[in-house]
Amino acid sequence: MDPSPGVDKDLAARFAAIVGERHCLSGLAQRMTYESDGLMSLRELPDLVVLPASTDEVVRVVRLAREAGMPVVGRGAGSGLSGGSLPVPGCVVVGMARMKRILEVDLENALVRVEPGVTNLEISRRLAPAGYYYAPDPSSQSVCTIGGNVSENSGGAHCLKYGFTAHHVLGVRLVRFDGSAVDVGGPALDAPGYDLLGLIVGSEGMLGIVTEVVLKVLRKPEATRTFFATFPSTDEAGAAVSAIIASGVVPAAIEMMDRLAIEAAKKATGVDWPDVGAALLMDVDGPVAEAEHTSRNAIGLATAAGALEVRVPHDEAERQLMWKGRKSAFAAVGRISPNYVVQDGVIPRSEIARVLREIDRLTREAGLRVANVFHAGDGNLHPLVLYDARIPGQEKRAEELSGEILRMCVRFGGSITGEHGVGAEKSAYMNDMFSPGDLETMDVVRSAFDPERRFNPGKVIPKPRMCGEASGRLSGDAREPAP
Amino acid sequence: MRATGLRPGAPNDAIAGVVPRQVFTPSSVEEAARFLGEATRAGRAVAFVGGGTELGLGAPPRDLDTVLRTAGLDRILEHSPADQIVVVEAGLPLAALSRALAAHGQRLALDPPLPERATAGGVLAANTFGPLRTRYGGPRDLVIGVTMVRADGTVAKGGGKVVKNVAGFDLPRMLVGSLGTLGLVARVAFRLHPIPEVVETLRVGGLSGEQVLALVRALRERQLEPSSVTALSSGSGWELAVVFEGFSAGVAQQRDRLVEISRGAGTPFDLLPAGDASAFRVRHDRIRTGPPVRLKVSAPPASFAGGAREAVSRLTAALGGADVVWYPTLGLAFAAGEVAEPARLRPAIDEARADLSRIGGSAVVVSVPDALRPGLDPWGEAKAFGLMQALKQRLDPGARLAPGRFVGGL
Repeated sequence: MDPSPGVDKDLAARFAAIVGERHCLSGLAQRMTYESDGLMSLRELPDLVVLPASTDEVVRVVRLAREAGMPVVGRGAGSGLSGGSLPVPGCVVVGMARMKRILEVDLENALVRVEPGVTNLEISRRLAPAGYYYAPDPSSQSVCTIGGNVSENSGGAHCLKYGFTAHHVLGVRLVRFDGSAVDVGGPALDAPGYDLLGLIVGSEGMLGIVTEVVLKVLRKPEATRTFFATFPSTDEAGAAVSAIIASGVVPAAIEMMDRLAIEAAKKATGVDWPDVGAALLMDVDGPVAEAEHTSRNAIGLATAAGALEVRVPHDEAERQLMWKGRKSAFAAVGRISPNYVVQDGVIPRSEIARVLREIDRLTREAGLRVANVFHAGDGNLHPLVLYDARIPGQEKRAEELSGEILRMCVRFGGSITGEHGVGAEKSAYMNDMFSPGDLETMDVVRSAFDPERRFNPGKVIPKPRMCGEASGRLSGDAREPAP
Repeated sequence: MRATGLRPGAPNDAIAGVVPRQVFTPSSVEEAARFLGEATRAGRAVAFVGGGTELGLGAPPRDLDTVLRTAGLDRILEHSPADQIVVVEAGLPLAALSRALAAHGQRLALDPPLPERATAGGVLAANTFGPLRTRYGGPRDLVIGVTMVRADGTVAKGGGKVVKNVAGFDLPRMLVGSLGTLGLVARVAFRLHPIPEVVETLRVGGLSGEQVLALVRALRERQLEPSSVTALSSGSGWELAVVFEGFSAGVAQQRDRLVEISRGAGTPFDLLPAGDASAFRVRHDRIRTGPPVRLKVSAPPASFAGGAREAVSRLTAALGGADVVWYPTLGLAFAAGEVAEPARLRPAIDEARADLSRIGGSAVVVSVPDALRPGLDPWGEAKAFGLMQALKQRLDPGARLAPGRFVGGL
C-alpha cells in the first residue's frame, strides 16, 4: 500500500512558518515515528507533525489546521497505553516536546506553573531540595508529561491516599477549536462558574490543547514506612488488603502482584523475591508516629491473613529496589513472553479474590497466561495478557480475553479504565459501561467545547455503528474545511 | 409519610424572592425525569431545591414556574463498607447519611453547616463544604459518580461507584457548583473515609493575620497533617483551631509538635476539651449561616497577608457586627454581618472584586436580603465565560433550568 503522502508542500510551508522549519515534520520517516503511542498495536500515519514552542504557536497551528480542514491530535511523550494520542487520518499531530519549562515555583502558595511537555518526575526533582513534590506518580513518571497526565487524569500507585491528577490541577490554559486561548481555574480555588477544569482533566485531548498547567504541590511526608509481604495465593493477599483497609488505615499505596508478575519482576530487576502465589508492597506515610503505628498494624493484619513472610527494607536504597521491582513489572513481562496486552480495569476492591479466580478460569479456557499487577487498594487491575504473535490465532485470543476481562470488571460494578484512559482502544467498550443517553450527554459536553470535533476525533465516545467492534476505528469527522 | 406530588407554591418556597406557581416533589428519579421533560417541553421554568440551605447563592430566577424538591428522593441505594463507597439519592440529608455510615465506622468527609438539612445533591450543586476540606477536599474531590436528569428529561450518568475510574467525561465534577442550571443531580456516589480513632482540637486566640499564616507555614514545614485549620475573627484578631485526626499515637505526636512550634512563636496553643471544641464549631456554623449578608472570598492562600486581606477588610467595613471564617490553608474566607448602610455594600463588593481580580481571586455573594438584590451581581466576572455559555446552551437550550440564577445571567 502506498504510504500517505502527507500534506502538500505549500501547506507544510505555512505550518513551518509558524513553528520553524526544523519543528515541522512532513517527511515520511519523521511522521512514522508518531504513528503510534504506547499502544503499539494501533497505527495511523499523521499527515504532519508540528512541535510548537509557545501558546501563541499552538494558537496559530490550530487556526491553520482549521482553515485546512485537518483534525488536530495533541501528544505528550506518547507513553499512553490506550491510543489516546494515536493519529487519526489526515491529522496534524501537535507534539509538546519543546514546551517543557517550569514557569513558576510558588511554595508560599504550594503551587507550580508549568508547560505541558515537562515530565511528571521533573517537577518533583525540581522541588526536592525544598522538601516538596508533585503527588500523582504514574509508573511512567520519568517520561510521561504533565500535559498527557492532564489529558488522561493519570493516577499511579500513591493515588489511594493522595488522589489523581484531577485532585492536583488548579488551572489550565486551553487552546480551543477556533484558536482562542482561555484560562480556566488558577491559583485560587472555587472560581465563579462551572467547574470546567473538572471536565478538561481526563478529557483525553478532545476538548482542546492544554498549553499551561497550574499544579498543587505537597510538602513531603515526614516518614514513609514500607513493607513487602508474600502469600500462598492471591486469596490470602486479597484478604490482607481488605483487613488493612477495614482497620481504618488509609495507606499511601498497596500494590499486589501474582506469581507470574513476581517471576517477571525478578527476571527483569534482580530483586530477590521468593517464588510465591502473591505479594503485596505497601507504603504508609505521614507524621512518623502515625506511619509507624499504621505500618505495625498493617503488618499484623497481613500476618493474620496468612502472610508467609514480611520484609521491611533496611534503608531507602532497599526500599527503592522494592518499588523498582513493582514499577518495572509491565516491561518485565517482556522477559517471560514475546508479546503481551497491558490491560487496565477497575473492580470494587472487596471483589479482588473472586475476580482473580474468574480471570484465572477465563485464562485457562483461552489457553493463555495472564500476569496480574495491580493497585489493590483501589481495585485497579492491570492484567497482562501474555501471547506469542508467531502462533496463529493467539493474538486474537489475547485480545478477546482482554475484552472479556474488561466486561467482567463492568459486571462487578467497576470500570473499563482506572488510569490509562479509553482512547482509541476502548471506545467500543464504553457501551458496556454507559447507556446511549450517558454517551450522548458526554458528546453534548464535548460539542460545547469543540463543536467542529477538531480535536482527537473518534476517541472515547463510540459511534453507534461501531458497537461490538473490537477496537475504535476512527471516523472522519473534522476533515471537512471549516465554514 | 413524606409529602410527595404536586402542590401550589407558597411564599416560603421562594427562591431569592421569586415564588413558584407550584412545587413538585417526585418520589422517584424516573418520576422526576418524566416531569422535567414535560415541563421544559411546555416551556415552564424549573428550579431544584434540596434542603434549602444555600438558596441565598445566585441571582433571582428570571422565570420560575415550578420548584422541584428532592425531599422524596432520600434513600441510600448502596453502601459497601469494604469498598468505602456509598450511592444515595440526591435528597438524602447529610446527617441521616452520617448516622447510617457511622454504624460501620465510616463517614463522608464533608462537614458543611446544617447537616440535618443539607442534602447530598444540594452540597454537590452548591459546592458546600466545611473545615474538613483542608485535608479531604471538597465535593469535587469526594464525588465519584452521579446520575443527572437533563432539561429534556434524559437520565444520564457519569463516573461510577469505584474510586478510581477515568472512563468518559467527568459529568460529576461538571455538576459541582452548577446550582441546578445544567440538570438535576438525582443520585450521587461518594468516596468514604474511616471515622478516626482519635480527634483532638487545639486552639489559640489573639493572633494577627500574619501570625495565622506563619503558623500555617510552620505546620506544613514541620510536616503535620491537620484535618482542618480554621480561623474565626475575634475582636481585632483571630482565634485559630487546628484539628488532628487519626490513631492516638500519631495524633499525640502531632499535637505535641504543634505545641512546641507555637511556644517557639510565642503563641501557645491549648488543647480544647470536647465541649469547647464544639463551641468553636457552633460559632463557625453561626457565622457561615446566620447573618443576613454573607460573602465568600477566594484567593491564593498567601495573599491573605496582602490583597485578599484588603478585600476582606473592605467587605467587613461595609457590614454591621461583621465576623469572618477563614480557612487559611485553602485561601477561602466567608465574611458575614448585618446590613449597616445599604448604599455602602455594593461599592464595597466592587472594590473587593477589583482587589481580588488582580491576584486571581473572587468574591461571591452567599446570602443577601432580597431587597438589596436588584442591580447586585452575586457572582462577579467569570473566566472562560464563553465556554460556560456554550455548555449551558447545549445542555439546556431553552434556558428552562433556574434561568438567570448563575454567573453572567446563565
